Amino acid sequence: MSAPVKTPQKARGWLRHETVLLVLVAAEWMYFNSVGARFGTLDNTFDILRHSVEIGLLAVAMTPIILTGGIDLSVGSLLGLCAVCFGKLWRDAGVPLPVAVAGTLALGALTGGVNATLITRLKLPPLIVTLGTFSLFRGVAEAITRGVDTFTGFPANFLFWGQERWLGMPAQAPVFIVVVVAMWLLVHRMTFGRTVRAIGFSAEGARYAGVPVERRVAMAYVLAGVIAALAAIIYTARLGQAKADAGTGYELFAITAVVLGGTSIFGGRGSVHGTLIGVAAIAVLNNGLVHARLPREAAGVLTGGLLVLALASGVLPKLWSDWRARRAVVAAAEKTVS
Amino acid sequence: MAKGGGESVRRYFRELSVAAVLGLVLLLLAVVAPAFFSPQPLLSLAAREAPTLVVIGGMALVILSRQIDISVGSQFAVCGVAFGLLAAEGMAFPLAAIVAVLLGGILGAVNGWLIAGLRLPSIVVTLATMVAWREGLRWWRQGQFVDLPDGVQWLGLSQGGGQVLLIAVAAALFVALAIGLRHLAVGRVVYAVGSDEEAARLAGLKPRAVTFGVFVAMGVLAAAAAVMNAVQSPQVDPKAGTGLELRAIAAVVVGGVSISGGRGTLWGVLAGALLLACVSPGLTHLHIEAYWSRAIEGAIILLAVVAEGLRSRKEGRS
Repeated sequence: MSAPVKTPQKARGWLRHETVLLVLVAAEWMYFNSVGARFGTLDNTFDILRHSVEIGLLAVAMTPIILTGGIDLSVGSLLGLCAVCFGKLWRDAGVPLPVAVAGTLALGALTGGVNATLITRLKLPPLIVTLGTFSLFRGVAEAITRGVDTFTGFPANFLFWGQERWLGMPAQAPVFIVVVVAMWLLVHRMTFGRTVRAIGFSAEGARYAGVPVERRVAMAYVLAGVIAALAAIIYTARLGQAKADAGTGYELFAITAVVLGGTSIFGGRGSVHGTLIGVAAIAVLNNGLVHARLPREAAGVLTGGLLVLALASGVLPKLWSDWRARRAVVAAAEKTVS
Repeated sequence: MAKGGGESVRRYFRELSVAAVLGLVLLLLAVVAPAFFSPQPLLSLAAREAPTLVVIGGMALVILSRQIDISVGSQFAVCGVAFGLLAAEGMAFPLAAIVAVLLGGILGAVNGWLIAGLRLPSIVVTLATMVAWREGLRWWRQGQFVDLPDGVQWLGLSQGGGQVLLIAVAAALFVALAIGLRHLAVGRVVYAVGSDEEAARLAGLKPRAVTFGVFVAMGVLAAAAAVMNAVQSPQVDPKAGTGLELRAIAAVVVGGVSISGGRGTLWGVLAGALLLACVSPGLTHLHIEAYWSRAIEGAIILLAVVAEGLRSRKEGRS
């Protein structure tokens, strides 16, 4: 990989990445609102929110991991595994629902701990470790359900959390908001966030500064496991069923949202609110295209383009100034020669 | 190589250990389920895996140069469909294949330009192109299968003949890559750039040109694999190649190529690829439920990286 540009320069005011992206989301919103008849209604807004909670949770959980310079490809598979185990606990083990929820969250912490142990204890690259657990977790989920078993028939008071409304908003929204606020505080207002960024800039430097690097990195992966388990429960409540293929491909959506939201894939730079806007950009695009009677596939193409543009926007000014500098050197050299 | 046995065993320890595990698995199958080695199913298995092997060869190249490409599955699908459409339009088979391969080169060049030209991180660039090509294909074709005209399936040969030819082509491509990487200057440059880009630049190489070339080569190989896959069935599946990128990366890593670039050989990768290819059919022959195959694949990947981690730790300490 080319040498990462790790200058912690802070763009101000309107030029900040998050602001530009927010303007873009607003533009998206206004366009679809003028084209699609039902798009701007409160009902549809809540619909968008309801459908983006799981990806949103995964993306928010992914943010501190990417801030450390790591990555977690296993969150989608982890969602599938947790959904299946949740169904198994409730239906086959006959455990009451609250206990099943607690058990699933514990499983999330445990599996996140597997990633964390391999990455921090054995010092293995996160990309490869989570590629392995990506297959492993999904594989175990398939083995548990023998590929076909589907858990359904959940009671109404559980489905409430995925399908009904609470105080007018989708019932899963408060859960999402709590997680987002907690993560925002953790990353932007507590030492955890500062140390995680320090690790992303330079793990060695952070170590010399007294940061318990391994413990912090491990915490980010365990946290991701717990949040993925929570996403699995909400996913199950929303669809009313749990299958081994739950959450397939979600890891890539989550990473896309995080990077689109301005978090550097090399770590050190980024924000939770940026990720949130990234999720919104993708969710609004997906929903809006349907309302505007445009092909839904355009969302993927546009998201890919946006992602490249978001990256290039950070690099192009530097390339431009490099080129200018080189031109200046050449011009000066020509002057001295002549 | 001529430095005596002990030296080369130590040097190629990783490759040899993967080969040993592969040998053990094959031995186990030979004892418990000799039916695995009956020629016809084995030939079919090898032909089915032949395109994947070509993609794996390209992925090894990419990872050796310290990059990653997760868009290969989408390149594979796009080029397969393009090949099918051209053949269905009545274009001669070799010409259609060449155009598809050129298209693969262009898709690879897009990745290469963004990564080497603009210096964007390869994992995000190829994530973007993966989504863009895949969804673009679905937009364009609406998920339709492409019917291949008569005479294209198995290249107009009998099924057995076609299978043998495909396996031979895949093997030839892979061996050419292996030898090229080991013995040609072009190949050594990939290792140099993957080990240390700055050192390679100071040594007078052009790392960005090399990176660009590696991604073009990856696109070409993915397209060639797509053609080899398309001719195995009467229709081209527009969803072909889903998840191919992660399978290819897994085989490369199991085969002992370091994810941080510059270390590993294609012979190890070959052993890793064969090992992973044996898991699913092997399970069926051992009467283990096939649902376990992904879990076992995952476990193999993890075992391989853990072994690598423990070894590099030991080396670091001594």
